[in-house]
Amino acid sequence: MTASALSRPGERERVSTKISQIDWRLLLLICAVGGAGAMMLYSVGGGSWSPWAAKHLMRFGFCLVLMLGLSMINIRYWFGLAYPIYGLALFLLALVETPLGYTALGATRWLDLGVTRIQPSEIMKIGVVLALARWYHGASAQEASFHWKLIVPVAIIGLPFILVAHQPDLGSAMLIGLTGAAIMFMAGLNWKIIAAVAAVAIVAVPPYVMFGMHDYQRHRVLTFLNPEADMADKGYQIVQSKIAMGSGGLLGKGFGLGSQSQLEFLPERHTDFIFAAFAEEFGFVGTFFLLTAYAAIILISLRIASLSHSHFGRLAASGVIATFAMYVLINGAMVMGLAPVVGVPMPLLSNGGTVMLTVMIGFGLVMATRVHRYAELPKGHGLI
Amino acid sequence: MSGEPSIFFADVNERQGSFLRRTFVFGGLTGLGVAALIGRLAQLQVVQAQEYATLSSQNQFNFRMVPPPRGLIKDRNGVVIAGNRPSFRVLVVRDETKDLDQTLDLLGRLLPDTLERRRAIIRDVNASSKFNPVPVKSDLTWEEFAKVNLYANELPGVMADMNDARYYPFGGSFAHVIGYVAKVNDRDIKAIRDKGETPPPLLFNPSFRIGRQGVEKALDAALRGEPGGNRVEVDARGRVVAEDVGGSRPAVPGQEVVLTLDADVQNRALEVFGEESGACVVMDVRNGDILAMTSAPSFDPNLFVGGVPSSVYRALADYERRPLTDKALAGTFAPGSTFKPVVGLAALKRGGDPNRRIVCNGSYYLGRRFACLGRHGSLDMRGAIKNSCNVYFMTLAVEMGPDAIAETARELGFGQTFDIGVSGQKPGLVPDRKWRRENPVRGDGKWYPGETPSYGIGQGALTVNALQLAVYASRLANGRKAVMPRLIKSIGGVEQGADRIFADLPYDPAFGQVMREGMEAVTDVGGTGFRNSQLGLGDIRMAGKTGTAQAQNYGAGSRKGAGRPWAQKDHNLFIAFAPADNPRYAVSVIVQHGGMGGGTAGAPRAREVMKVALLKDPEMRARMERPPAPDPVEPTSLDEPSVVAEATPQPLGAEPPLPSTEPR
Repeated sequence: MTASALSRPGERERVSTKISQIDWRLLLLICAVGGAGAMMLYSVGGGSWSPWAAKHLMRFGFCLVLMLGLSMINIRYWFGLAYPIYGLALFLLALVETPLGYTALGATRWLDLGVTRIQPSEIMKIGVVLALARWYHGASAQEASFHWKLIVPVAIIGLPFILVAHQPDLGSAMLIGLTGAAIMFMAGLNWKIIAAVAAVAIVAVPPYVMFGMHDYQRHRVLTFLNPEADMADKGYQIVQSKIAMGSGGLLGKGFGLGSQSQLEFLPERHTDFIFAAFAEEFGFVGTFFLLTAYAAIILISLRIASLSHSHFGRLAASGVIATFAMYVLINGAMVMGLAPVVGVPMPLLSNGGTVMLTVMIGFGLVMATRVHRYAELPKGHGLI
Repeated sequence: MSGEPSIFFADVNERQGSFLRRTFVFGGLTGLGVAALIGRLAQLQVVQAQEYATLSSQNQFNFRMVPPPRGLIKDRNGVVIAGNRPSFRVLVVRDETKDLDQTLDLLGRLLPDTLERRRAIIRDVNASSKFNPVPVKSDLTWEEFAKVNLYANELPGVMADMNDARYYPFGGSFAHVIGYVAKVNDRDIKAIRDKGETPPPLLFNPSFRIGRQGVEKALDAALRGEPGGNRVEVDARGRVVAEDVGGSRPAVPGQEVVLTLDADVQNRALEVFGEESGACVVMDVRNGDILAMTSAPSFDPNLFVGGVPSSVYRALADYERRPLTDKALAGTFAPGSTFKPVVGLAALKRGGDPNRRIVCNGSYYLGRRFACLGRHGSLDMRGAIKNSCNVYFMTLAVEMGPDAIAETARELGFGQTFDIGVSGQKPGLVPDRKWRRENPVRGDGKWYPGETPSYGIGQGALTVNALQLAVYASRLANGRKAVMPRLIKSIGGVEQGADRIFADLPYDPAFGQVMREGMEAVTDVGGTGFRNSQLGLGDIRMAGKTGTAQAQNYGAGSRKGAGRPWAQKDHNLFIAFAPADNPRYAVSVIVQHGGMGGGTAGAPRAREVMKVALLKDPEMRARMERPPAPDPVEPTSLDEPSVVAEATPQPLGAEPPLPSTEPR
């Protein structure tokens, strides 16, 4: 029994034991979705490995190795590095605001290191989760529910949220904020606070949309409410996306035969709108299985989180999977015309390196939580 | 607190229990979210699938217009006088060129003349949508076409194909009556919009040509046809990816238009003018069919199809003999002495006696002296026509006054336009007292008696065109019916104007007989047109009337045209019909500034044209080839019950071998 091997402390650190503890169902599902992504990129690339499919597959392979490597690392080290990683990410985010920040397409999101450009907001998506898990690990149930100390997690979420929203990168800021909120919720936030915040949000969002947003952001929101009003640009994307999905029908037009995506009516068909291309070629049957796979990944990960013996492990794993779930739901809703067009890709399916890296590092953390579910972590509010 | 454990066991359990409950809720919410997405997908992909499939195929498929072939225009014998021919052309698609300048440089090496029009080409290409092919040059030779295809790889965005181009095989012969087609311009579009209609999309097709003049313009709608469509698959940028043969709709060709013209007569009519300026109309006196309607000098309408170079256009427009003007319909001239039978008829209608003799001593006096061309002595009406005596007809005119002359002139076809299916006719002017009141010269609007003698010899304010003269000659020759001209024989196989009924001429047929006898005498020994009116076709003779119209007022005694510049010479007119004993065809000829005396310039041209018309007529041919009758044949035309009833189109037998002109 592997469980017994894990229960014997002397054998827990053996690599063979650790490998046996990897959740193969989760790994298979991740590979299936990543493979579906490569397949779709092959199709929308005009039935060709270039320019996207081959790169996607290589990136996925690299990230898979990275994920498995990270799952071997004891979450004790994750625990220890939680605050430093968060601090580094915050420092880099602040650096983006200095002249070192690299501006493209009207937004300053990148940090130019000379050799390469990095996007600190992506590091922060992991950093926030780790820092929150780390803080709640030392907090009592009372403190997590309704306590003045909750100012700390609010600050942990709020600082990067403000910095990222200022870049401006509304999509990432929203993901950071929602992930943080999900962790606070799962850590046991009092329902009264939740109700109060929800009430405030409902009152505050319309004025924010009208006065607090950049023009292009407001435009996107208004376009979402009435896509036909802007057939030339954002409305066109939503309308074409709906045509692509709807015309796929029950069984789809067939692999490589989606006229909307092959003839380039579907915009951003290799990134944000790849789900629509998938829906066109594989129909309702295909999307049903794909979304079921996503749901299975999320639920299995939550189950893994709940099995962890440490509060840090629970919250870290459920936190990264919350980010993943937000990606899936927001992109799905956006593609189907249920949410405004924000630049949130479909994880594992869309072409794009940084999101893949973030998501796969997150899965590494989830795997590590499972492999090291019996790990003993120090109690209390220590920094390390 | 230090040293104490900050979290107790119970607390840890509470924390874990809370987490598990909340995670369960979170997982449930996520599951709900995914279920909502699946529900939305079911709505899109199952419930509304049909609707979106339609939208998708509207995206995917497009109709590319296939312009219809323009209807042919044929002459009465089925000879094509406006057809279509294949034309190789080069097109440029802006979206597919990497660099338009570079592409045009390369193309200029293959087709040097595109370099000259480079700026116009760039303007056209940029004005068109990105993926729309713009014709850059048409009518390539085979060598040029092959060269462009050979270098196709190095010329991205350049393609060569074949399309239909309008072709006029006889060149200038039919230029005025048929007109020509040309590119649609902004004014055409605006004219349609001003009428509150939407221009059909066919007009925006780069290879479409619109009728500009004559029959091409008047019957443009019938000739145009219905465009077809090719169902093609396009991408989001509108580029054609594939063609769907099953979904294509063929173009409906334009309707065939058959004219009453005879290509041989028409060609001869232009030929006889040479460099002279003028007009000639030939009509069938029984049914009014126009066999020829020519204006000279002419121009090649083929030049206009592809867009006429402005230098050529300027040269045509600036030439003093006005090749672009249709003189047969829009050229109005004083009829001169060809008008004298009108005056004679008017007098007979008012009870005049054709045998009344008037003495001509060379002059007529009414306030001033009006000269005659000779001292004719005592003449009856036939003799006055034969000798074209001014004094005789001035006398009659002054006796009747202008209104009587005008009435008869209108009855015979002057001062009006005819519905022959094409526009551009000028009615000319038949003056009378009413007209003078409305157009006063000296303030009081009174008709002065001094104007009448000129009127009596076809001068003064009176103007007519060649078609009216031909109608007039036909009615004189017919003698009973006021024949109306017809140009359009059939459209799309439907006979036009077959059911026309001509009104009776409002005078005693015997009066017409007097005129015909006079006109027969004109072309007989001693008549003004004798020398140049002999057909030489057996016993078929041509009767006619000469005319000279002053182009300007000369000093007394110097009317001889010789030595004068062209623009100051008199107009030379001639009307005729043949055979004189049983008229079948009438002809009118106007030679602008042709010099004095209708017998010199007009008559020989009328004779040549008439000869072709007669030779093409199988009945006439039979008569020519018949051994000469021992006795002269009595004129029988007036004894026949109705000449109009015979006017059914007769099938032509084997075409007689003719000295016909080759198509140019």
